[in-house]
Amino acid sequence: MIQVHNLHKHFKVTRHHQGRLAGVRNLLTREYRLVKAVDNVSFTIQTGELVGYLGPNGAGKSTTIKMLTGLLVPTGGDLVVNGRIPHQSRQQYVANIGVVFGQRTTLWWDLPVIESLELLQHVYRVPADRFRQNLSEFTDLLDLKPFLHTPVRSLSLGQRMRADLCAALLHDPALLFLDEPTIGLDVVAKERIRQFIQHVNRERGTTIILTTHDLQDVEKLCERVMIIDHGRLLFDGQLNDLRERFDGRRELLVDMAEAYEDVSVEGAQVVARDGWQVTYQFSRSSVTASELISRISQRYRIRDLAVREPDIEATIRRIYEERLLET
Amino acid sequence: MRHTLTLYRRLLGVQIRSQLQYRVAFFMDLLATGLTVCLEFASLALVLQRFQHIRGWTMGEVAFLYGMVEIAFGIMDLVFSGFDPGRFGQEVRRGTFDQILLRPVNITVQVLTLDFALRRLAKITVGIGIFIVGLQGTMITWTPAKLLYLPFVLGSMVCFFGGLFVVGATITFWTVESIEVMNILTYGGSFTISYPMSIYPDWLRRFFTYIVPAIFLNYYPALYILDKPDPFNFPPIAPFLAPLVGLITLALSLAFWRFGITHYQSTGT
Ligand SMILES: Nc1ncnc2c1ncn2[C@@H]1O[C@H](COP(=O)(O)OP(=O)(O)O)[C@@H](O)[C@H]1O
Ligand SMILES: [Mg+2]
Repeated sequence: MIQVHNLHKHFKVTRHHQGRLAGVRNLLTREYRLVKAVDNVSFTIQTGELVGYLGPNGAGKSTTIKMLTGLLVPTGGDLVVNGRIPHQSRQQYVANIGVVFGQRTTLWWDLPVIESLELLQHVYRVPADRFRQNLSEFTDLLDLKPFLHTPVRSLSLGQRMRADLCAALLHDPALLFLDEPTIGLDVVAKERIRQFIQHVNRERGTTIILTTHDLQDVEKLCERVMIIDHGRLLFDGQLNDLRERFDGRRELLVDMAEAYEDVSVEGAQVVARDGWQVTYQFSRSSVTASELISRISQRYRIRDLAVREPDIEATIRRIYEERLLET
Repeated sequence: MRHTLTLYRRLLGVQIRSQLQYRVAFFMDLLATGLTVCLEFASLALVLQRFQHIRGWTMGEVAFLYGMVEIAFGIMDLVFSGFDPGRFGQEVRRGTFDQILLRPVNITVQVLTLDFALRRLAKITVGIGIFIVGLQGTMITWTPAKLLYLPFVLGSMVCFFGGLFVVGATITFWTVESIEVMNILTYGGSFTISYPMSIYPDWLRRFFTYIVPAIFLNYYPALYILDKPDPFNFPPIAPFLAPLVGLITLALSLAFWRFGITHYQSTGT
């Protein structure tokens, strides 16, 4: 469905003069700085996938989405989506995609939500009965009813995002791009939106690309993640693989039944001791949790224990900080 | 094509309904615009009464000229509201243009309907008033040809100034700093041609003849309708060049607009 090959986007950013006569000097001489917002990115996405596109602020996520949706012309590389080159056949291309930018709205500011949606029905030429079906389905799933007749300018951020999601899907697009759909929302609103995204992907088979820097979005929704930083794709694969490759560090918390001088055990490191409580760290690749527990219980008397899985957030932070994926 | 026209009407409807929601602001705007235009013309009338005429133009004749520009510019400002460079530049920075590109509808139609500045109706109304006053102060011998040509003259000015708006809007894709230059041309141009071109120094008149040929939009058609002699001895075709100037300007500016769109660099998050 999406083929991206050696994609680049470079921006020339003007350096502004400072100080005396800055305006005139800006007009006469221009200095540029090159920003490589997207730098040699390749990937393929199949129909029906739900892919998380992850990266810190300024990584190049939005720029990638803007090229995929035809808003920006790539500086280099190839890009085929739905059999079309997005920026070349704009009108036909955008008729079959849905796009939501978390910080903007596609709705008309002064119109009640329902009127914006009806206007979009005409914009996308959605048949009346299909429109009605979709509208009632989304109204239920997103609980739009309480504010369907409220002008968009008076909606809360969460309400606006729900209305925007509905607006992006009324014309049954095969492909949905979501750029930071949960940004700025509270936990409850985030959860509701995640459920909706999952529903759209599973029940309607819509292919979805979701950019975010909220790792919980990815953990709850995506099997496949792509990680981008400084314009370069650092990882593309299953979330589980990411875990296995980079988070060797599961933790086992053990409450000993007696005081021991030496609590060491093969395959794990002691990273903390607090009275009779010991924290071991071990990696998935060297030993399983059950194996480790049996080794410990052969040597020591145990009162209680717990396994702590590292969260993906810590994993990815490590990837960024230690530059584990850079070549 | 029919779909596009229907959408144009619907999107305009949205603009009008939105403005009428802010009723008080709307009427205040209307009033302010109307008053401004009246004041501008009143000060002109005062000057003219002192002198009776300027360079062979009577008060009524100047009102005729002035009214035509006022009406045409008002209509242009209404129809091309969305292209108003200052406003359009803001919308670009706000990301509105991204949303436009994401909809399967003609881009120009969507920009035209970004705004529909109804308060310009005041400008148009006052313009019509001034024009009528002008008509009464002149002894025009109307012929069918003159009557028929008049709407074309107005239409040409709408196209011409609309074209300047489009050029200004396009420039905002690259920079919002140089926008003032364009505004000087648009507003300065319309101000200049509100008065007989013969009152200006040679260099200014030449600028508005050979570089920006606005002289053919209003001045020459007025000479023809008022049966006044041409002080600059142009060929007799000169009064009928207005539609050509208007259409060519609009066509060139739309070509520039399309070029600008391909160079658009979406900004912001
Ligand atoms: N239109 C633009 N002009 C210049 N630089 C830009 C533009 N858009 C984005 N950038 C730069 O490109 C980089 C990537 O930005 P972006 O794709 O928005 O990141 P993200 O969405 O991952 O936060 C940033 O350094 C940003 O400043
Ligand atoms: Mg972004």
